[in-house]
Amino acid sequence: MLKCGMSGTQVKVFGKAIQALSRISDELWLDPSEKGLALRSVNSCRSAYGCVLFSPLFFQHYQWSTSVKVNENDSKTSNLNCKLGMKSILPIFRCLNSLERNVENCRIFTRSDQCKVVIQFFCRHGIRRTHNVCFQESQPLQVIFEKSMCSNTLVIQPRVLAEAVVLFTSSQEEVTLAVTPLSVCLKSSSDEPMDLTNSVYSEMFVGPEEFDFFQIGVDTEITFCFKELKGMLTFSEATHAPIAIHFDFPGKPMALSIDDMLLEANFILATLADEPSRASSQQSLCLSQKQKRSDPMCSPNNNSKTGKNVTSKAPGCILRKTAPKRLYPNETQTDIPVLENCGSPIRKRVNGGDISEVPESSVSDTEETPGSSYLRKFSCMFFGAVSSDQQEHFNHPFDSLATASDTEEDMNNGRSSTF
Amino acid sequence: MKFRAKIVDAACLNHFTRVSAMVAKLAKICALRISPQTMNFILSDKVAGGGVSMWCELEQENFFSEFQMEGVSAENNAIYLELTSENLSRALKTAQNARALKVKLTNKHFPCLTVSIELLSVSSSSRIVTHDIPVKVIPRKLWKDLQEPTVPDSDVSIYLPVLKTMKSIVEKMRNLSNHLIIEANLSGDLNLKIETELVCVTTHFKDLGNPPLASEDASQDRDPEQMAEVRIDIRKLLQFLAGQQVNPTRAVCNIVSNKLVHFDLLHEDVSLQYFIPAFS
Repeated sequence: MLKCGMSGTQVKVFGKAIQALSRISDELWLDPSEKGLALRSVNSCRSAYGCVLFSPLFFQHYQWSTSVKVNENDSKTSNLNCKLGMKSILPIFRCLNSLERNVENCRIFTRSDQCKVVIQFFCRHGIRRTHNVCFQESQPLQVIFEKSMCSNTLVIQPRVLAEAVVLFTSSQEEVTLAVTPLSVCLKSSSDEPMDLTNSVYSEMFVGPEEFDFFQIGVDTEITFCFKELKGMLTFSEATHAPIAIHFDFPGKPMALSIDDMLLEANFILATLADEPSRASSQQSLCLSQKQKRSDPMCSPNNNSKTGKNVTSKAPGCILRKTAPKRLYPNETQTDIPVLENCGSPIRKRVNGGDISEVPESSVSDTEETPGSSYLRKFSCMFFGAVSSDQQEHFNHPFDSLATASDTEEDMNNGRSSTF
Repeated sequence: MKFRAKIVDAACLNHFTRVSAMVAKLAKICALRISPQTMNFILSDKVAGGGVSMWCELEQENFFSEFQMEGVSAENNAIYLELTSENLSRALKTAQNARALKVKLTNKHFPCLTVSIELLSVSSSSRIVTHDIPVKVIPRKLWKDLQEPTVPDSDVSIYLPVLKTMKSIVEKMRNLSNHLIIEANLSGDLNLKIETELVCVTTHFKDLGNPPLASEDASQDRDPEQMAEVRIDIRKLLQFLAGQQVNPTRAVCNIVSNKLVHFDLLHEDVSLQYFIPAFS
């Protein structure tokens, strides 16, 4: 049961978050908890994930109560499990400037008996607008991404990033971020170097002094989807908070995040991986040479002009349902050969121990299509990164993952951040 | 072939950006001719362009603080490139508040015009922005199609009214018909007419003034009140007018009866000639 209220100005920020998430996907999860109200979105190819968590302090009032269900396994709290279509919710938050002007109060609440979210705008002149949006019951997906474990972190004012983004045309699908300890370069990327069409290649070098925080541990070049970057950028301009970019080597997902007292936004984007042969030979990638596209595992709806799929990147991101599914130890055996292929850079980072002990994610419970085994590959990579960090959980990797997924309030894993 | 040039003056850079934006509105793909003294943006009257042609010329020393070029050969000391004009315009637009802009011809897998911009950012550190605009080198045998058009002997020559006014009128007329008749006489009258089955609309401009007659023997006994007219495609006229963001320093319209209309504009020091043929 969710009940929250906000003022006109807060509605604008809330609406901007929804607009930014709409760049990722057509569906939005409304996921309230005692930590606050989280809006989550994942694209169909699982190569981009966005989450904006509004803390209770953001709202004028915020109430969240759960009904605790006890079933035969254990007791668990039930989430709202609310999935909304962007088509239904985006038009409600259109014309944010006029909403900010006219709306005095906005209330959002859910009715536990009906699958409905009610959004009410109390506007000037005594006008009250009520929107009833039906939702689908669906467990939200969450991504576990260890931001503090990334070798490279940049914090930049949105304005600077906006100035860089202006260089590229809206038809530019992907951009590459190339960093060294001395400079940062954002440039347009294209698959074939012999692309003789009219695409202009643009690049911008920014010096370290323009960043609020600059830490480069590994020289690297990562390529990711431009559209999703733009989505995050428009949201950050609304919050006036600096953007933090956390990343590593190509293939490993990157995080764009905003951390402000009242809200926390995280966009996890997959990055294009290098060919596996190269990845295994070097840990620090100075210049990625030929980049091969991983097998596309996108839905058939995705199409592209030049035959390349934006979404057919190496989806280094991992998705786990927040529902406490049991992890099945007997599936670990299948992981080992898979990890040989792609996991080597991560392997080197693990402080001893065997990644193969890490169990599979529950996402693999889905259909046994080639796509899911592909996803499994990367879920293991991810878990490797997580478990290496937690020495205390090392001998009980199941525990760390199980507890992380069981309850929303279990944050005692310390460095692992679930969002 | 070599070409490198640099602009350091902000006013020159803005002017060059405006010229490039104007060209981008007039021709999607155009030829760029680089010669020791001038730079030209050329659209030749191929059928694909609908017979419209354009010749835009600027003196390089009015813009560039440094300018070096080496043409195809000593006798043919020019470079002709074909490019998508919007690419250049967009690249130049990112150079607002630039400290310096360099353009050079490069070959990165394929020929490019590389625009390299040094931006001064707020934190007083400079940012370097580079754009590689793909271009095609136009071979010598095609150069003859890209020469300065000969100005035809026109029947009437007249100064144009404020282009913004003309544009808003033509925009409204566009909704009624695809053809427009421009007619003018030597008494300073210009009319824009559309005629359809249902309605005729004419806008009259008076007292525009006529430039002095160019040639000696053009003191023909032409009745000053007699109109010379040409029927053209209204969309082409609209495209031309839409490209003029700023009112030109000088704007002349030359009409060759039933053949073509020739617009001769001067934007400060940049000359633009635009030819629209009669609708056939």
